[in-house]
Amino acid sequence: MRALAEDEFTTLKDSLSTHLSTTFPALLVPPSQTRAFSALVELKAGVGGSEAMLFLMDLLRVYVRHAHARGWRADVIQGAEVVGGGMRDAIVEVKGEGAYDTLRWETGVHRVQRVPATEASGRVHTSTVAIIVLPLSEEAEPAADDDLFKMEDVRIEVMRSRGAGGQHVNKTESAVRLTHVPTGVTVSMQDERSQHQNKRRAFQVLRARLMDMKMTREMAERRAARQNLVRTADRSEKIRTYNYAQDRVTDHRIGLSLMNLQSFMEGDGMQKFLDAMRRHWEEERMEEAVSEAD
Amino acid sequence: MENRLAKLALAIGRECAQQEFRWMKHSQRPNLSEMLDRRIAGEPLQYILGTTPFGPLDLLTRPPTLIPRPETEDWTLRLARSRTPSPTRPIRLLDLGTGSGCIPLLLCHLWPPESVRAVGVDISPDAIRLATDNSTRSPIRNTFTPHLGDLHDPGLLHRLDPQPPFDVITANPPYIPLDQYHALPSSVKDYEDPRALIGDTDGLAFYRAIAVLLARKGVLAPRATIALEVGHDQAHAVTCILRHTPGLQLGPVEIWKDPWDKDRVVFARGASCATGGRINIT
Repeated sequence: MRALAEDEFTTLKDSLSTHLSTTFPALLVPPSQTRAFSALVELKAGVGGSEAMLFLMDLLRVYVRHAHARGWRADVIQGAEVVGGGMRDAIVEVKGEGAYDTLRWETGVHRVQRVPATEASGRVHTSTVAIIVLPLSEEAEPAADDDLFKMEDVRIEVMRSRGAGGQHVNKTESAVRLTHVPTGVTVSMQDERSQHQNKRRAFQVLRARLMDMKMTREMAERRAARQNLVRTADRSEKIRTYNYAQDRVTDHRIGLSLMNLQSFMEGDGMQKFLDAMRRHWEEERMEEAVSEAD
Repeated sequence: MENRLAKLALAIGRECAQQEFRWMKHSQRPNLSEMLDRRIAGEPLQYILGTTPFGPLDLLTRPPTLIPRPETEDWTLRLARSRTPSPTRPIRLLDLGTGSGCIPLLLCHLWPPESVRAVGVDISPDAIRLATDNSTRSPIRNTFTPHLGDLHDPGLLHRLDPQPPFDVITANPPYIPLDQYHALPSSVKDYEDPRALIGDTDGLAFYRAIAVLLARKGVLAPRATIALEVGHDQAHAVTCILRHTPGLQLGPVEIWKDPWDKDRVVFARGASCATGGRINIT
């Protein structure tokens, strides 16, 4: 009788432990405010000249492929290939539920170490690509979200002179620039063939940047209030290194290395990182929730 | 290909050449080299690609019909926002010199279904054909009828469907003075219809004709809106023409600027009673 009770005590104690350490904290974490949000992924070539630009395109392909594998839509809304290959910068709109929540871990500096295709002597170069992932809510029309910005605070400018304009000129002139005067955020857009289309895209990007600024600010305020050391990526941080010679991708935030770099670049190795980052984030949130409950 | 790109860059500038080359590739039309050669020769990109965006629409473009301009896109969008017609009392729209049909088609697309009946007049059979093709390109739930005719023709109005009075009158009439026409860039002068561009010696001939048409009894509905696109230095002259045309009763006249800060539209409202009448205050 006593043995049975002892057994049951152990089982109960274990399950109590689980409830205390995992289940309850998870219940304290509020569901993600941003789970319905799509993502705007901005890539910029950093150090490394043309090699950085080529790597940017490699990464772009990885994200587009990953988006499709997850059933999301991926549209490259800005991205001009330069002569010689590669892109200086690009913006991809990834549309679908959960896109932002999943891809936001990609924000930060990605570093590649490999022998460039153009390098005759076989020397390894290091270059970087900076990625920022912004939240995109589903807005059909570029109307001002009263929370985020007022239309009267946005200055809309065309980028080139047109002389007499009107009937005098039939050159396509579609480039626009938006400036959100209170914050100084500017967005230029010129890849579409009409002002109207570029304006829509530009407002989309503006909204995403302002929403990102708002969320970052709110997160910082929360952290400051808690005074603890939990950290998420600051966007100038090197978050990942892609080492071709060692065939390895390493995420520095969680110390996770994946062998077989090709599986990342061409397969779905990215999912492993995203899953690991998500678990890490969830643990942080749980700790946060538990300490706030004190 | 590199060679052609270099030539295009010389012709229109490196950044524009790269951008236009991307659009040519993106169009997935066959024969990229031929497109480049045509562009190097000065042919407008819109004729080469066969389409141009106009607001949310994608319109066909065909020589020699005037290619819709971004200035026109801008003010037409603004005009669309300036009122919201209702299907319970549909309004009538007349567009003079309709060309590709871009102005009425955009308004018909943006305004609520069955809230507007539009007619667009043009003297060119090519334009009427193009406007007709554009009107069938995507479903619009407002009627737009292109009509072959001359705005100088006194019998024109009787033949239109819908009939006057009109609640909205729009026009982007030919406004380039003859001497300026000769100095235009080749891509305009050598490819687009001169009849869509030349407004006689002072560029204002069509505004005089339009003002006379608007002044005729029964043409303007009470509080009708009139939007006339003008050349960069013509807004005041056109306002004067409207104000000094006998029988044309107008309320306040505004001048709208385009995105390049040029005075681009003379916008007027008709008097609050039908034209040709008098207000009796008893």
